[in-house]
Amino acid sequence: MSENVLVVENLATTFHTKGGPVPAVGGVSFSLGPNETLGIVGESGSGKTVLSRTIMGLQPRTNVEVTGSVLLNGHQMVGVSEDEKRKHWATEVAMVFQDPMTSLNPVMRVGKQIDEVLRVRLGMPKDAAKARAIELLRLVGIPSPEERYSAYPGQLSGGMRQRVVIAIALACSPSLLMADEPTTGLDVTIQAQILNLIEQIKNDLNMSVILVTHDLGVVATRTTRLIVMYAGRIVEIGTTRDVFKDHRMPYTRALLESSPRVSNASHTRLQAIPGRPPNLLKLDQGCAFAPRCAFATQKCHEERPELEETGTPGHLFACWNPLTTKIGA
Amino acid sequence: MSNETAVSQVDKPEKRDPLGPLFWVCVGWATLTILASLLANWLPIESPITQDYTALNQGPTLHHLLGTDDLGRDILARIIFGGRISIGVGFGAMAIGFGIGAPLGMLTAYRRGRLDTIVTSVMYMLLAFPAIIATIAILSFWVPRALPKIIVVIGLASVPLVYRVIRTATLNVAAKDYVVAAKVQGASDRRILLKELLPNIFPIAISFLLIGIATVISLEGALAFLGLSVNPPTPSWGNMINEARTVLSTDPWLVIFPSLALCLFLLCLNFIGDRLRSYFDVTEVKL
Amino acid sequence: MLKYLTRRFITLIIIVFVISVGSFYLIHLLPGNPETVILGIGATPLARAQLAAQLGLNKPIWMQYFIWANHMIHGHFGESFISQTSVSSVILRTLPIDLELIVLSQIIAYAAAIPAAMRAARKPNGWLDRIFSAGSFVLLSIPPFIIIVLLVLLVAIKFNIPHTGPSSYVSFSADWITNLESLALPAFTLAITSFTVYFRTLRSDMIATLQEEYITMARSKGLSRRRIFWRHAFRPSSVALLGASGINIGGLLAGGFVVQYLLAIPGMGYTLIAAINQSDFLLVQGIVFVVSVGVVLINFFFDFIINIVDPRISRE
Repeated sequence: MSENVLVVENLATTFHTKGGPVPAVGGVSFSLGPNETLGIVGESGSGKTVLSRTIMGLQPRTNVEVTGSVLLNGHQMVGVSEDEKRKHWATEVAMVFQDPMTSLNPVMRVGKQIDEVLRVRLGMPKDAAKARAIELLRLVGIPSPEERYSAYPGQLSGGMRQRVVIAIALACSPSLLMADEPTTGLDVTIQAQILNLIEQIKNDLNMSVILVTHDLGVVATRTTRLIVMYAGRIVEIGTTRDVFKDHRMPYTRALLESSPRVSNASHTRLQAIPGRPPNLLKLDQGCAFAPRCAFATQKCHEERPELEETGTPGHLFACWNPLTTKIGA
Repeated sequence: MSNETAVSQVDKPEKRDPLGPLFWVCVGWATLTILASLLANWLPIESPITQDYTALNQGPTLHHLLGTDDLGRDILARIIFGGRISIGVGFGAMAIGFGIGAPLGMLTAYRRGRLDTIVTSVMYMLLAFPAIIATIAILSFWVPRALPKIIVVIGLASVPLVYRVIRTATLNVAAKDYVVAAKVQGASDRRILLKELLPNIFPIAISFLLIGIATVISLEGALAFLGLSVNPPTPSWGNMINEARTVLSTDPWLVIFPSLALCLFLLCLNFIGDRLRSYFDVTEVKL
Repeated sequence: MLKYLTRRFITLIIIVFVISVGSFYLIHLLPGNPETVILGIGATPLARAQLAAQLGLNKPIWMQYFIWANHMIHGHFGESFISQTSVSSVILRTLPIDLELIVLSQIIAYAAAIPAAMRAARKPNGWLDRIFSAGSFVLLSIPPFIIIVLLVLLVAIKFNIPHTGPSSYVSFSADWITNLESLALPAFTLAITSFTVYFRTLRSDMIATLQEEYITMARSKGLSRRRIFWRHAFRPSSVALLGASGINIGGLLAGGFVVQYLLAIPGMGYTLIAAINQSDFLLVQGIVFVVSVGVVLINFFFDFIINIVDPRISRE
C-alpha cells in the first residue's frame, strides 16, 4: 500500500494587512498519491498561487497566518520552524516558478545554480556535482550542456531557462514537483515542449506533480485529478474526466465555456464570466460566486455551501444548486 | 500573474506615504532661516560688523543672545547675515546650474539627434574634471574675490552634473509608453514637453535641486576654509567657523553656533529633498 | 566583454587627452605672460629666455601644447621656482600619502558599512535599522570640515593630539606606528562620509534584491538563510555599492585637501592649497592634471570590477 505523498487538511492562509485580514485560502483538503498529477485551476486571484506556496511552506514570513495541516511524506509542514521545513525542500518537494527570467539569479552561472543544490543538500564533491549538473541539463533537453553549464541566464532563451529551472528542481529527486504556471510566460510552441518534459520526467522518476494554471487546455490532457478554486476555496474536485464531463458547480461550467475552442465556428462570441472576482477583504456571507452565478438562489446568497460528494467517490463540489446534466454520451 | 494574492483585490488604492510632521518642521525651519536672511536688514538685531569693545568673547547674554566674538561682534547678527552669503551662494549657483543645465538636458534628451550627441559628449568631458578642483583652481586664479564671481563659478561648474541628471530622467520618462502614445496621437512637441515630461521629471528635479543647494552651501564652507570665499569682515557661515577654529578650546561657542545654523539648515534641505523623492516615487517598495 | 573594455579604454584615452588640454591651458588663463607666471616677477631675463625657448612660447599655441605634452609624457612637469624642486618629485612624494589616507579610510568605512547594512536589510525598520538610517542621514548633512572641527574639539584637545602647527606625519617606512597614529584622525573623518553613503546604498539595494523571485527560489532549494543572504543577495546588490564607491573615492582624491589642510597632513591636497597660496602655478597645474587623471582612472577601474560582478552590463 503506497503512502500518500501529500495530505492536506483544512489548510487556510490569512494575510494580515492594514485593511484587515484577507483569507486568501480557506478550508482546502485533498491528498495526492505517488505518480499522480493534480491540476489546480482558477482565475487570477483565486488563491491558487498562494495555495501552492503555502503547501510548500514558502509563504512570506511576516503578517501571514497559516492553519491546518500539510503532511509531506508524513512530515508536517504547517506551524513548524523554517529550519524544519528547509530539510524537506529540494529533497522531497521542489518548485518550478512561473517566470524563468526572474527566478534564476541573473549574476550566477546556471551550472553553479544547479551545482549548489547538489553540493549543499546532497553533499556531493565539486567534480561529481558538475558532472551531475551537466547530466541534468542533458536530461531536460538542453543542447550542448557542457557549454551551457557556464552560461548566464541572460544568455539563454526563455524556454531553455525554464528547462534549467526544472533541472534545478529535479536535482535531488524530490517526490513532489510543484509547477506554478510553468508555461504562462513562454511562447505557445515552447509551452507544449515544457509540459511534455515535465510529464516525461514525472514518469521516469516516479514523481507526483501539482500543476497550477489558469489554462484549462493544459490540464485537460495532462492531469489525472483536478481542483477548481474560487475565492480561495475549493469549489469542485475530482478526476479530470469527472470535472470536465460531469461537473456540478456552475462556476466550473462557466470556466470551461469561457475557454475559446478551435472547434468552435468562426466568429463565435467569447463567453466571458460576467462580473469580477470578489474582494476578499469584504466577503459577504453565502457562496462567493453567487453574485456572478446564473443559477443563484436565495440560499446561495445567505449560506456558504460545503463540499459534498456526488455519487462518485472522490468527486466533490460545493453548491446549493448544482447542475445535473452530464456532458457527452 | 503569479504573485497575485487576494491582497491585490483591495479596491482602495494604496495611500501614498504621507509626508509626516517632521517634514513640515523642516520646511518651517528652512523657511524661517531663509526669511531671516532675506529680511536681515529690517530685523531688530545688531549690525554684524559693529565691534563692541565692552563685550568681548562673551557667552550668551540678554543683550547678545548668542554671545560675541573676539572683536565684540554679535554672533546672532553675524549668523543671520552670514546666512545671506551661504544661502545666496547655494540658491544662486543652483539657479545658474539648473537654468542652463535643465532645459538643455530636457531638450537634448527629447530631441536626440546630432545636437544631443555633441552637447552630451561635451558635458561628459567636462564631468571628467573633478568639479571641486576646477572650482578651486579657477577661483584661486581669478582675483579679486567677489560674491557674484563665486556664485557664477560654482554655478557653471554644476551645469554638467545637472545636465546629466535631468537628461537621464527625461530619457527614462520619454521612453515610457504614455509619452510614445501622446506622440502617436499627434501631440505637438511643446505640449509633450509641458504636459507629459515636465510633470514627471519635476519630483526628481526638485529633490536634486534641494540636495544640490545643500551641497553648494557645504562647498562654500569648505572654500571659506581655504580663504576662497568672501573676505572678512563680511560674515558667512563658512568663514565664521574657520576664524573661530583657532580659539576652539577656549571659546567653543564661536564655532558651535554657526555650525549649528549651517548643519540644521542642511539637514532640513536634505530631509525635505529625500521625503519629496520617496513621496513621489510611487513605485518604490514601501517597507 | 573584451569589446566593452576596449570601448571604455578608448573613452579613457580621449578623456585624458581633454584633461591634458584643460590643464595645459590653465596657465594661459592667467593675466600676464606665461614666463612671469612660471618664474615669478623677479626672474632674470636670461632665465626667461631659457624658459621661452624650452616651452616654445613664441610658437603657435597648439605647438606649445605638443611640446608641453611631450614633456609630460616623459615625466617632466617642470620645475617650481618657489621650491626649486621639480614638480614631479613633489607629486611623487605627496601622492602616496593621499593614497594611504584613502585606503585606510575605505577599510574603516567598508568594515563598518557592510555588516551594518546587511543587518539592517535583514530586519528592515527594526531598531538597529532605524538608528543607523537616521544616524547616517544626520551625518550626511554635516560637512566634512565641521566633522573635523568637532572631532578636533572632542578628541584632539582632550587627548592632546597635535592639530595645529607642524605636521606630526611620519612616513610608513620610517615608523609605521606613528604613521598610523597621525593618519588615524583624518582617515576616520573621511570614513564617516564614506560610511553614510555606503550604508544607505547597500541597505536599500539589499532590501530591493531580497524581494526578487530568485531569492524565493533559492529558499525553495533549501539553502540556509546565511547562504542566501551572502551568495545570492549580496552579489547583485554590491553593484550599486561599487558604483557609489567609484564616485566616492574619486571625490576623496579630489576633495581630500580639506581634511589634509585642517590636520596638517602633507599630502597632495595640502600641497595644492599651499601652492595656490604661494602662486606656484606650475605645481598647481601638475597636481590638477594628476588628480583629474587619477579620478578618471578610479572610475575606469570600478567600471571594470562592476562588470566582473554583473556581466549583464557589458552585454547591453
